[in-house]
Amino acid sequence: MKRKRVFAILAMIMVLSVSATTIVSAHRVHVRTEIGEIGVKAWFGGGEPMRDADVTVYAIKEGKEELYKEGKADENGKFSFAPKIGVEEYKVVAESPGGHKGETVVNLTQAASPGEGTEMPLYTRVIAGFGYLLGLAGVAMAYMGWKMKKNYEGGIKRQVGNKEK
Amino acid sequence: MVHISDGVLSLPVLAAGWAITIALMAAAICWSKRRRTSAEEIPKLSVVTAAFFVASLIHIPVGPTSVHLILSGLVGVILGILAYPAIFIGLVLQFFLFQHGGITTIGINTVVMGVPALISYGIFKAGNKLGFSRKGVSEGIFGAIAGGLAVALAVLFLVICLLTTGKGFSGVASLVAVAHIPIILIEAAVVGSVVAFLVKVKPELIPLGGARK
Repeated sequence: MKRKRVFAILAMIMVLSVSATTIVSAHRVHVRTEIGEIGVKAWFGGGEPMRDADVTVYAIKEGKEELYKEGKADENGKFSFAPKIGVEEYKVVAESPGGHKGETVVNLTQAASPGEGTEMPLYTRVIAGFGYLLGLAGVAMAYMGWKMKKNYEGGIKRQVGNKEK
Repeated sequence: MVHISDGVLSLPVLAAGWAITIALMAAAICWSKRRRTSAEEIPKLSVVTAAFFVASLIHIPVGPTSVHLILSGLVGVILGILAYPAIFIGLVLQFFLFQHGGITTIGINTVVMGVPALISYGIFKAGNKLGFSRKGVSEGIFGAIAGGLAVALAVLFLVICLLTTGKGFSGVASLVAVAHIPIILIEAAVVGSVVAFLVKVKPELIPLGGARK
C-alpha cells in the first residue's frame, strides 16, 4: 500500500514537472498584431438606438477632415469600420432621417469614449428639468408679488396723499 | 423626431426660425402684460411646460424609426397665446437635459412646434364659439381636433424645413409623415380626453371653458 502511494506521488510529480517544463521550454512565441474594427453606436437620449442611421466617417489628418467611409447603422444603431493605417483620429457623424444628428471624435491613441453608463441617468435629468421649471415659476411669482406690493403701496400712498389734501 | 439637430439646416432657415421665435415671444409677453396675466397662471404655465418637457421621452417605435409624443396641442389649448413661450422654455430644457434638437435650432424648432400650437388653439377657440349643447362634449371634440392638428402641422412644418436643405429629402419627408400618424391619433385622444375632463372638473383651467355656459 505504502509503496503504491509513493509511486503514485512520484508519478504525479513526474507528470507535473513534464507539464511544467513544456510551458517553460515552449517554442518561439509569435505575436501577430491584428487591427480590429472600430465600433460605434448611436442612440437617442433615453437609450433608444438610432436604427438605420446614416453614418459618415471622416479621417482627421493634421487637423483636416477627409471623407473616409459612409454607411448605415444596423438595427441596434451600431456601425463599425476598419481604421486606416496612419490615421489616429476619426470623426463619426450619425444622422437619422428626420433631422436627428450626432457626432463624436474617435481617437485611437486615447482611451475609449465614455459609454452609455456614464451618462447622467434619465430620471435625474427629468427631475432637474422640473427643478428648473419650478425655479422659473418661483422667479416669475416673486416678480409678480413684488410688482403687486409696489402697486399696493403706491395706492396707499396716493390715498394718504388725497386725504391730506 | 420633430426636433431638428444642429448642422442639418442651412443658415438662412435657422436665422428665420430665430427671428420668428423672437418676434412671437415678444408678442406673447406683451400680450400677457397688457392683459395682466394673473399670478395663478404661472403655476399652470409651469406644470404644462413640465408635461411638454417629459412628453418627448415617451417613444413609440414605428417601422425603422421611433417617434415620441409632442403634446404641443395640449399646451396650445390650455395656455393659449402663452403656449409659445412655454414651448420655447420646454425646448431649451429638452436640449440641455436630453440633448434633443440643437442649440442653433431652438428657434426653428419652436416655430415648428409653437406655431401649430397657436393655430390649434385658435381652432379650438373658434370651434367652441360655435358650440354644442352639452358641456364637455364640444370641448372634447375640438380638443381632439386641436391635438391631432398640432402634430400634423408640426410634421408639415418639419417637412418644409427639411425640404429646404435640398438633400433629396422627399422620400424621407413621406417617411416622417407616415411615422407620425400614430402620434397624431394618440395626441388627439389624449388632448380630447384631457380637455373634456378638465372642462368638467376644473373649467377655469381651460381659457374659454369657464366663460361659456
